[in-house]
Amino acid sequence: MAKIHFKDIKISAIATTTGDKKVTIEEEADNFGYDEKMVKRLKKRMGFNSRYIVSDKICTSDLSIQSTEVIFEKFDKDDVEALIFVTQTPDYKAPSTAIIMADRLGLGTDIVAYDINLGCSGFINGLLNAYSLLNSGLKKVLLCVGDVASNFAYYKDKNLTPLMGDAGSAILIEKKEGFNADFVLHSDGGGYKHLMISDGGCRNPFSKESLKEKEFEDGIRRGVDMYMNGGEIFNFTIKVVPKMFDELFKYAKVSKEDIDYFVLHQANKYILQNIAKKLEIGEDKLPMNTMTIYGNQNSASIPGTINGFLYDKFRDRKKVLFAGFGIGLSWGACIVDFEDVYLPKSQTYKAKDEK
Amino acid sequence: MTKEEFLELLAETMDTEEELDEKTSLDEIDEYDSIAVLSLMSMYDEMRVKVTPNDFKDLKTVADLIGLAGDNIE
Repeated sequence: MAKIHFKDIKISAIATTTGDKKVTIEEEADNFGYDEKMVKRLKKRMGFNSRYIVSDKICTSDLSIQSTEVIFEKFDKDDVEALIFVTQTPDYKAPSTAIIMADRLGLGTDIVAYDINLGCSGFINGLLNAYSLLNSGLKKVLLCVGDVASNFAYYKDKNLTPLMGDAGSAILIEKKEGFNADFVLHSDGGGYKHLMISDGGCRNPFSKESLKEKEFEDGIRRGVDMYMNGGEIFNFTIKVVPKMFDELFKYAKVSKEDIDYFVLHQANKYILQNIAKKLEIGEDKLPMNTMTIYGNQNSASIPGTINGFLYDKFRDRKKVLFAGFGIGLSWGACIVDFEDVYLPKSQTYKAKDEK
Repeated sequence: MTKEEFLELLAETMDTEEELDEKTSLDEIDEYDSIAVLSLMSMYDEMRVKVTPNDFKDLKTVADLIGLAGDNIE
């Protein structure tokens, strides 16, 4: 099991930008073939309500760049020596979007930049990469995470699409004495088929067939769209997440009571309610409304929850647990010292004036 | 718990107003769908019964749901 301890590394700022369009489940009910009764049930049981998505052709990089610019209003960008971009929705198939973003942000060429392809667990894995680079001697790392799920969630897929929101976050991480972190990480490729986009890679190259609509019990989608087996993912989550918490408490030598906030990947309210109940953690310590308002923001859902709901909670020192779980299957968690972090409120994407 | 208590719990979990008994066919319950299965999975999980989505595939009647609960039902 991958367990790693870091010292003297601090998260200095987190900012999140969401899609510019708000849509409600009522507005979209027809696309999914949901009647009024079903909409009511989905709202009550699963916490469906609204989601923020992007207008056409806005990329995750655009959202994350807006988030980064907010941070650079307060922090000097000169010492940033690495940009890591965690996404499943890059600008192009190649090259890594992080390299293009570094240029757009004016970070110069003395910088290491690369993408990581992960979703729900992406924030934890991204942090691990950033911490590792800082531990190796770099001074400041910019981590960008997020997805425009609109790109892979087909509008007729009633199973996945009503869950998904678009967001791009930016996180500035730097060397600072007295700030520690402990990580545990897991992967299980045995479950890759439960959450995947099957077409467009080398295994199933993109073809005419990839764009053909197919009808399934849980909705209509195509080979280029994301498929989710909700039952399997739910089952996986309630099995592995509580176990991972125990591992992490033991490794970090802390107890549940030492943690001030549990900020988990906001898959949906129902899953989070189940985890909270299993772990006996109150909703005041484990926020669970992000998906209800913004949609499931994939790798941006943990920063999205902080900027959306906890932005005023970290004036003095807190211990915070982050946990991500999902596509891969991949899951990870970390406990970090959190103090004096710049946390602007989530903002929606604003297109820059085009000339 | 008794069988009656379990039937009540089932109806509540599935959000259905149908009167459930052992012979009720799952096809007759409008609300028995993927959301109900998720809710049932967490219900069984709380009862410490291990279930997977596959366990629900071949179920026909409420008696089968009672069967899944095993020793939990008196």
